[in-house]
Amino acid sequence: MKFKPGLPEGNVNVSHNSPGKEFLLLFAGITAILLSAYLILGLFIDVAVNYISPELEAKVFKTMSYGSGEHQIENSDKQQAMQILVNKLQQCTDLPYPLQVNLVESETPNAFAFPGGKIVVFSSLLDSVQSENGLAFVLAHELSHFQNRDHLRGMGRSIVFTALMSAVTGAGSDLTRLVAPVANFSQAQYSQHRETMADEQALAIINCYYGHVGGATEFFETIAPLAGNKNHTSAVSHYFSSHPEAERRIANLKKLADEHNMPRNKTAPLNATLSANTAE
Amino acid sequence: MQLSNTEGIPGKEITAFYGVVSGSTVRAKHAGRDLMASLKNIFGGELKGYTELLSESRDEAIRRMTEQARQLGANAVVNVRFSTSSVAAGAAEIYVYGTAVTVE
Amino acid sequence: MDQLIIFALLLSLGYFFGRSAEKRHYASIQQREQDFINMPTTAGKYVLGENTTVTKSHLVTGSVVISVDYFKRILASLRSFFGGNVRSYETLVDRARREAVLRMKESCPDADQIINIRLETSSIYKGQGKQIGSVEVLAYGTAVYLAP
Repeated sequence: MKFKPGLPEGNVNVSHNSPGKEFLLLFAGITAILLSAYLILGLFIDVAVNYISPELEAKVFKTMSYGSGEHQIENSDKQQAMQILVNKLQQCTDLPYPLQVNLVESETPNAFAFPGGKIVVFSSLLDSVQSENGLAFVLAHELSHFQNRDHLRGMGRSIVFTALMSAVTGAGSDLTRLVAPVANFSQAQYSQHRETMADEQALAIINCYYGHVGGATEFFETIAPLAGNKNHTSAVSHYFSSHPEAERRIANLKKLADEHNMPRNKTAPLNATLSANTAE
Repeated sequence: MQLSNTEGIPGKEITAFYGVVSGSTVRAKHAGRDLMASLKNIFGGELKGYTELLSESRDEAIRRMTEQARQLGANAVVNVRFSTSSVAAGAAEIYVYGTAVTVE
Repeated sequence: MDQLIIFALLLSLGYFFGRSAEKRHYASIQQREQDFINMPTTAGKYVLGENTTVTKSHLVTGSVVISVDYFKRILASLRSFFGGNVRSYETLVDRARREAVLRMKESCPDADQIINIRLETSSIYKGQGKQIGSVEVLAYGTAVYLAP
């Protein structure tokens, strides 16, 4: 028996193909799968939302409230004043159930539609608008969200999609990090679409209530410079944000007002209760 | 190519040897199979997808080892040993090695 | 957004550095395998060859821990979503095994043969989630010194 020294030529234990190509191919594949899953599930949510009655919604979300109790400004005069404004604006919509305004102490000027018929308004929003019309537009925007049931759609989509992602890729894995931009992008695009729709409806609501659309862009004009500075770092970040850029919303609203010949008359000032300094 | 996990091939004589040859492969099943397996973990029973995965990997590893032995000029591999490990989650890694020999 | 940039940076760092490290390692492995081409290894219990008179023998071991780069780890997780050969881990285990055997041989440069070789593989580091970043290989066998 003899020893015959030798080394195998080549290496049969590894595959000789380009990992870069494999990566691109697989990444394209997973992107396509996730996007189509998102589209299909989104359609299901849209159908399901139609079957949730406002009564059921109110019952489910009754116990949920935004944030912790101490930030909420209970029964303040401002909340009352806004409640009256919302009730008046609601006459211009076909929302059948009562909405409740919740004023919350916060530094960020913002407002949003919360499931269960609650409009949450952050206190510094009142400092960001100069007239009642400006405030009314923001409230009308939230009313439109309720009318379109966007609050349920958005919530449903994010729940279903998060569940899908963690079931498929495993929560917190590297794969989740890889596909997160895809998921964020599709969700942001959908959300921006709904926001634009709500803006357009809000314009119609305040046109119906005041007879003109003066002051509609007031809030966006206040926040545009603030947001502009923040987003300056990257040219693509607005593709991933849930709301369209403020400048674009202003332009869109102006264009729409011109198209429908909605006049922009003089705005009415905020009443004394609302314009009072927030610092008490 | 003859394979054996004994010191030699019964009834034949080793005339030359070439050293250790090996074959290995890492394979994974698609996410759907992983999901089914995790469901099966609740009820117990054979994880068919993973059994399949393991036998596919084993065949591939043996194929690679015999290819290496053929390149050296051997016609048999004796003392074949298998070892498995989990290099990645949901993926099976099989390593097979043995001594490449010529038998007559 | 920042996360995306960091992620892309890690991915390209892993791709380029991982590739060059792998290339260098393979070059070194091939060179050393050529150097040790006359020290046969067998998986059997008995000394093979014409001269089987053993004068001395002892246990030899060689071990190594090798990590995979970030790019390949991501590629592997993508691959395990679709199923199939996880090619990006193949070079990892291949390099680790050959390196372990070479280290074992280097620990006994005067031996004539190493018999009864066994290899053990384990993943010693489990990172975040279930992702495994590195592999440990231990090679062991009996080095035998033959009578001249």
